[in-house]
Amino acid sequence: MEDFPEELRRPPVALAALVGCPELHAPITTHLLAEQPPINALALPDISKISLFARIPKESSAPARPVGGILKRDWLFKHRTRIPAVVAALFSSDQISGEPAQWLQVCNDLENLKGVTKGRNIKLVVAVVTQSNSKDEISEDRMIALRKRAEVDSKYIIIFIPDDPLELKQSLNRLRNTLGELANTYYKDEGRRVKARIDRKNLSSIELHIRYCFKVAVYAEFRRDWAEGLRIYEEAYHAVREMVGSSTRLPPIQRLVEIKTVAEQLNFKISTLLMHSGKLAEAIIWFRRHMGAYRRLVGAPDANFLHWEWLSRQFLVFAELLESSSAAVQNTSSATSGTADKLTEWEFYPAYYYQSAAQYLKEKSSCLELALSMSENADEIDGSNESVTTSVYVGQFAKLLEHGGAFTMQLLTDEEFVRHALAEGKRFQDSFEIIALLKRSFEAYNKHKTLRMASYCGFQMAREYFAINDFGNAKQVLDNVANLYRQEGWVALLWEILGYLRECSRKIGSVKDFVEHSLEMAALPVSITTDAQFFKDCGPAGSPSLPQREMIQKEVFGVFRGESEIALNEENNPLKVTDDHPLYLEIDLVSPLRVVLLASVAFHEQIVKPGRPTMITVSLLTQLPLNVEIDQLEIQFNQTECSFIIVNGQRPQLAAISHVQPGRRVETAPALEIVTNKWMRLTYDIKSEQSGKLECMYVIARIGPHSTICCRAESPASMNDLPLWKFEDRVETIPTKDPALALSGQKAIQVEEPDPQVDLKLGSSGPALVGENFIVPVTVISKGHSVHAGELKINLVDTRGGGLLSPRDVEPFSTENLHVELVGVSGQEWEDQSESPSDSIRKIQPSFGLISVPVLSEGKSWSCKLEIRWNRPKPIMLYVSLGYSPYSSETSSQKVHVHKNLEIEGKTALIISHRYMLPFRQDPLLPSMTKATGDPDLTPILPLKERSILIVGAKNCSEVPLRLLSISIESETGGICTVSQKVEDPMEPALIVPGEEFKKIFSIIPEVNLANLNIGTVCLRWRRNSGSEEESGSCSTVAEVLTKLRLPDVSVEQPPIIVNIKCPAHAILGNPFTFSIRIHNQTKLLQEIKYSLADSQSFVLSGSHNDTIFVLPKSEHILNFKLVPLASGSQQLPRATVTSVRYTAAFQPSISASTVFVFPSKPHFELSNTEDTRVRSVTL
Amino acid sequence: MIVCVAAVGQQNNPLYIQSFTEADDALKLHHIVHCSLDVVDERVNNPKKSGPTLNETFLGMLYPTENYKVYGYLTNTKVKFILVTTDLDVRDADVRNFFSRFHAAYVDAVSNPFHVPGKKITSRIFADRVRNIVKSFGLSSTG
Repeated sequence: MEDFPEELRRPPVALAALVGCPELHAPITTHLLAEQPPINALALPDISKISLFARIPKESSAPARPVGGILKRDWLFKHRTRIPAVVAALFSSDQISGEPAQWLQVCNDLENLKGVTKGRNIKLVVAVVTQSNSKDEISEDRMIALRKRAEVDSKYIIIFIPDDPLELKQSLNRLRNTLGELANTYYKDEGRRVKARIDRKNLSSIELHIRYCFKVAVYAEFRRDWAEGLRIYEEAYHAVREMVGSSTRLPPIQRLVEIKTVAEQLNFKISTLLMHSGKLAEAIIWFRRHMGAYRRLVGAPDANFLHWEWLSRQFLVFAELLESSSAAVQNTSSATSGTADKLTEWEFYPAYYYQSAAQYLKEKSSCLELALSMSENADEIDGSNESVTTSVYVGQFAKLLEHGGAFTMQLLTDEEFVRHALAEGKRFQDSFEIIALLKRSFEAYNKHKTLRMASYCGFQMAREYFAINDFGNAKQVLDNVANLYRQEGWVALLWEILGYLRECSRKIGSVKDFVEHSLEMAALPVSITTDAQFFKDCGPAGSPSLPQREMIQKEVFGVFRGESEIALNEENNPLKVTDDHPLYLEIDLVSPLRVVLLASVAFHEQIVKPGRPTMITVSLLTQLPLNVEIDQLEIQFNQTECSFIIVNGQRPQLAAISHVQPGRRVETAPALEIVTNKWMRLTYDIKSEQSGKLECMYVIARIGPHSTICCRAESPASMNDLPLWKFEDRVETIPTKDPALALSGQKAIQVEEPDPQVDLKLGSSGPALVGENFIVPVTVISKGHSVHAGELKINLVDTRGGGLLSPRDVEPFSTENLHVELVGVSGQEWEDQSESPSDSIRKIQPSFGLISVPVLSEGKSWSCKLEIRWNRPKPIMLYVSLGYSPYSSETSSQKVHVHKNLEIEGKTALIISHRYMLPFRQDPLLPSMTKATGDPDLTPILPLKERSILIVGAKNCSEVPLRLLSISIESETGGICTVSQKVEDPMEPALIVPGEEFKKIFSIIPEVNLANLNIGTVCLRWRRNSGSEEESGSCSTVAEVLTKLRLPDVSVEQPPIIVNIKCPAHAILGNPFTFSIRIHNQTKLLQEIKYSLADSQSFVLSGSHNDTIFVLPKSEHILNFKLVPLASGSQQLPRATVTSVRYTAAFQPSISASTVFVFPSKPHFELSNTEDTRVRSVTL
Repeated sequence: MIVCVAAVGQQNNPLYIQSFTEADDALKLHHIVHCSLDVVDERVNNPKKSGPTLNETFLGMLYPTENYKVYGYLTNTKVKFILVTTDLDVRDADVRNFFSRFHAAYVDAVSNPFHVPGKKITSRIFADRVRNIVKSFGLSSTG
């Protein structure tokens, strides 16, 4: 776009001229430019300079003179910068209203102005510059006279007031509007004038027609009438196209050049106008038509490069226009609007045009080269013809001839012109231009993420780099491009690129790259069926074919073996693989060279014992067209001592030279030759002494003395398809003979630990009891291995899952939360006392322990005891693992592990129960008890200051007999309740067999009336029965266990009434006895008591059956009845019912309380202590 | 005249590419076919731009180079067919007709039990059939 002159690139701007009052020119010029639409202003300091605009009279206006060209080169420039549309003459008011001499000067100046402007139809504006305070001073007559002198309309006489900011602004606007209006008029008039000439249709030549059209269009542009401009430009353009066949004015080559140049300018104008008005799609369609019209106008063959250059320029300019047009992005939706001229997305991208520009420029470059080589005296063509220059017409060249100091232009012959063009063409390096274009395209495509287009551009770019011997850049670009083709499997394209890459490497002198690219090429799946004969222009590598691949492979393997060298260009020394320059190739899992050599390694087993041999299969595959012979194959493992070398039996002398480390295992294979697409399988046995993972890392192939190919080993189970070949229709075989192994084989094997030769014993003594420190003896007995650096790990695990801790164990450990804990390890017995335990590790945590085991020589043993405490009944799993090293040396960190586990159930030993009772036949009335009868969860209510009985039971629910040492109640709050033991210490430590329950009785007298009375805690001291010592030998010292149970709170109530029933312990048939009911009123109120007595058939009763009595406050009332038993045996006494009216509570003694045993006759035993029948110690 | 036809697989790998030209620009045709995949991607990824061609296998003209016109077709299995022609005036109907016949040939070829899906089509019968389709391109409608 920069090639075009400035006036063509920018839309024309109207031009005005200012004369007089030069001090005002600067503000006026700035103002005119700043406003929209802008007006350019020519400031003439002196009115005499006006003659510059005057029309130069043509020397001879003879009509017969032929037209020299289509467009004059400087016409547009002239109208943009030199010929104003309107002249503003500024006069100061002093001049007008001043002396007659001044007025005369004004008139004179006006005459001069008119003389010039009339000739060109330039419009005139007169501005009278006056001060704001004297603006009314100019007389009306003078103004009229001025107008008449100037021959302008009165509205074109402007009063210009510069000294007041507001007035100045108004004046400027006025002047601007007037100038704009007049300029428009001028351009319209001029346009119409020229148009009239076209319409007259008597133009002598088509050139004039085009020229006039161009002028009309430019005038329209001056008026900013874009639509009109566009229309006329198109007309001119079509006229130019018509000229192609008809014009004979110039020699044929130059004629075409001129036409194309004019067409180019017109096209540029049209494209710009279309694009600026947002009609992107139309612009693109226009451009397509433009190309369609001119693409085939190649012209004479010896100047055809000019055509390609011109074509390239068209694309470049359009691309730049498209890029600069902001609408380029949004307007793509209109792509489908046109029906006939359907546009594709690509035509909206500047990248497409850049690419085309580059293509044509390349065409030009090659045509130019051809033309240069054809012209016999090519060397003479240089810049000596400096006398050839551009002519006054657009697209024409002329010879500048000197005739004694005066220059004249003379037309060129075609031959001269071609020589000139060739000389010009030689001066430019097209390659750089092409690369620059392609780079722009490449970047634009990349930005659009259209990688394939970008790759193609990149490839063309690299080819251009290659052509100018810039191999570094070429290689860099090609490397990127090759990746895409590899990925998508475009073999033919990849072949071409690799061919270039190979040459680049050769030229750069990189042997490794050269070999890599050659190998890849040789292994490409170029099928035999490919129409090789059609691939002609395939770069330096030749066409992709099988023979070509074979040739490349031969060449590379020659290099490998050091037999041949890589021929380079002259200045570099030929490269050869030698001692100093060894060749090392590495093929990893993503390398494109996997097709060259693929190593699959499979162990036949998954797990092996240390020291046991297992089988390993190493399979190699190549896609190279010829067989590959390997001198030596090294298989490397992560355990270096397992690595081994396979030597080719056919080439022992060659193999001998290689890098065999002493002590390395060496196998000899009869032949190491890999056939195309056929797995070479080698199976060997392998043995590892070291436990852990044994993995095959690399398979290293050595070819020749200095060449190495290092392949990363792959597992058959997880092997990826071969790149490129996966798309080929070929026979696929599996790397191992065993198909199952091919599916599941791994390149790594697990080597197990050696078998432990140490016994670990966990002694168990049945279920553990909650609360005791349960002892688990652990014994380590060496049976063949001595134990070094032994470590005992102890883990407690809940068998039901879930932790050993209670659910609320988020907070840090607290012993109450732990259900089961490892308390300690005791009794570590060293058989060898000399071993100091100082270095022993000891780490005990609630559920984990780590103990070090001293060094044990063979046959010795060691034991310790684990103490585990159960806080809750819970079964757990105890895991004990011993890790040791059989050898004392520090280096072999191989540890042997022995694991043991034991499930231990934790059980509750004793269940404590308790029960409250009232003294026999004594019943206090507890009002709250009567209210809520039948509620079992009710806290027991004890009468205040009355004796109650508490029975505590301890039941053995374990499976072992226990010895109960004592039961006591520890009261935490002294004084509020008296707890006394009924019998002082009645027993030896009592033996309780499983299932037996032991009971103890306490009497309780609450001293304080409390709603919640804390009775105390039952403390139970017990131990396992020491008689069971033999069963668990370790439990020699059975510790006492204290089990505690806090008794639930009771409530205490003051009983208002207490009823006692008194009756002898037994009766004798026929003998009367007294049965009395004692009612004690403890309140300060009179109590009304109703009672009734039901008859019993076993007794004769004396006394009233029902009555109502009143008991005085704080006193007793005794109801006495005399009874005579009528039957012997256990007899029911008459049932008495006592009802308190105040408390509406009735009392009936229980059946047991109202039963008496009647002897038939007086028994023969002493009746002693009969008075104490009320309270008895009861063992139920 | 059709100068090149190609079937391109799901991973944009060439399944079948055949040029029918005596000139030495077969490799260039490979480039053109490969580049046209970008347009196919663009059409498929931005379907709204192509408006009415939504859900249609025929993708229309992909892009014009200076000498060729490239047409595309996308099957349900994301296999792309590309047609490169030198004809200046090509009727959409002809191209559609060509593609539908080519598609049928392709379906027959991949239905061969010995063909592994995703691999190159090496069937000679398929090649012959394609050659016939190419030869008859445009004949049916022009007369």
